[in-house]
Amino acid sequence: MRQIDAKTGCDSDACSCDSTESDENTRRQFLRSARTVTLGAISLTVLPSTLASETTPSSNDAGEPENGKESTPLYGFLVDTSTCIGAGKCLTACRVENNVPEGQYRTWVERYIHFKDGRIQVDQVPESGYAGSDVEKVDEDLVERAYFVPKLCNHCEDAPCNQVCPTHASITSPEGVELVDPDLCIGCAYCVQACPYGVRFVNHETGNADKCTWCYHRIMREEQPACVEACPVDARVFGRLDDPESEINKRLATVPTHVLKEHLGTHPKLHYIGISKEVT
Amino acid sequence: MRLIRDLRHILIVLAVLVIGGAGGQFLRTAMIPESFGRQGPYRADALVTIASQKSRFPSAEKCHKCHEDVREEREETLHAGVACVHCHGLGEKHIAEAEAIAKSENAEGTVTPAEPWDGQFPSTIDLFISQDRKTCLVCHESVVGMPEDFRKIDVAAHLDEQGADDPDSPDTCFECHGNHDTAP
Repeated sequence: MRQIDAKTGCDSDACSCDSTESDENTRRQFLRSARTVTLGAISLTVLPSTLASETTPSSNDAGEPENGKESTPLYGFLVDTSTCIGAGKCLTACRVENNVPEGQYRTWVERYIHFKDGRIQVDQVPESGYAGSDVEKVDEDLVERAYFVPKLCNHCEDAPCNQVCPTHASITSPEGVELVDPDLCIGCAYCVQACPYGVRFVNHETGNADKCTWCYHRIMREEQPACVEACPVDARVFGRLDDPESEINKRLATVPTHVLKEHLGTHPKLHYIGISKEVT
Repeated sequence: MRLIRDLRHILIVLAVLVIGGAGGQFLRTAMIPESFGRQGPYRADALVTIASQKSRFPSAEKCHKCHEDVREEREETLHAGVACVHCHGLGEKHIAEAEAIAKSENAEGTVTPAEPWDGQFPSTIDLFISQDRKTCLVCHESVVGMPEDFRKIDVAAHLDEQGADDPDSPDTCFECHGNHDTAP
């Protein structure tokens, strides 16, 4: 700029160098002051929100119990398929406890039958058990092995359902429980499609996404989830993963366990004892 | 003159920024729910709402507070882990009445007694006594898939073996096996 200005100043004598210079100066001054004002205004509007967002997490940390009280628990679930008898008591308990509409399930029990000829049959345990149900009897002589697999939400550490929610209605609670905010959920069912385990559904009555909450309302009162309470053979074990003395941690440490679809990297907190690789 | 002209420009920019900022801040507070982001990228109050749901399914300990004798009867049996609800219903009214009596000054009063079972899972009857073999068979009838060591029976064969008087009677199991102190 300067070189050109100097050129124009020297090229013609008639040209008033003074006025050009003062023109330049005022323009420069204006730009300078405008820059200062703009930067100032931007920092005024942006800084408070940045500061606010910076202080939020620290205030949250302070909100956590630090005065010698217990820290936030981290929960886990263990299903022992070697003891499940397929009575369906957990299904009724869940429906009653959480007011789940007929025909929809927060938890269900699958039966895997491995036949001697290599076939595998998977069916679902009727809600009121097999006694008096119209489920076709299976010839025991043809069966290699068979077992029941209770299914429920895996409460994954890296939950795909949570990541896709467009309205932040999908919540991972501080206790590691996956929940649905009934006020923010718009029932778009994106999470229903994202869940690799098929545990979510859109509740016919509420229109919201619905899922197993590990009975969040019960566990926050130090009660066991309804299905765990209902199981007559202790096939369902619920407890704290952060407590080395808990029943679930003792079982996880001593018995080989599996999670479903481990290759997806969702890191489920629902563990299984006694399932074969066909169970997904 | 120049200063005034420039000042006008600066004022316009300032006004746009202030109005835009205020408008943005207003939209922000209007559209982001209260308590959002307090604990994480969600509405913290939702946890309170979800946790306030009523517990319905009563634990055996709750029943045993009054029915101590049943606890003693059951504690050594294989059925110690079976929830009371499965044979007796939720008993919500019954428990609420019992708790009200326990809290009252003279601790006196009566609770609604049990009714006969309607044969349904889940039952619509608050409290029942199910002297019905279906309650037993829902767990014990032999089904492919049960663990090897679980006590399962083929009812028809078992009754034939034992020489039951009336194989179709709902009482069949209870005639030999009792209820709370179930003999094997």
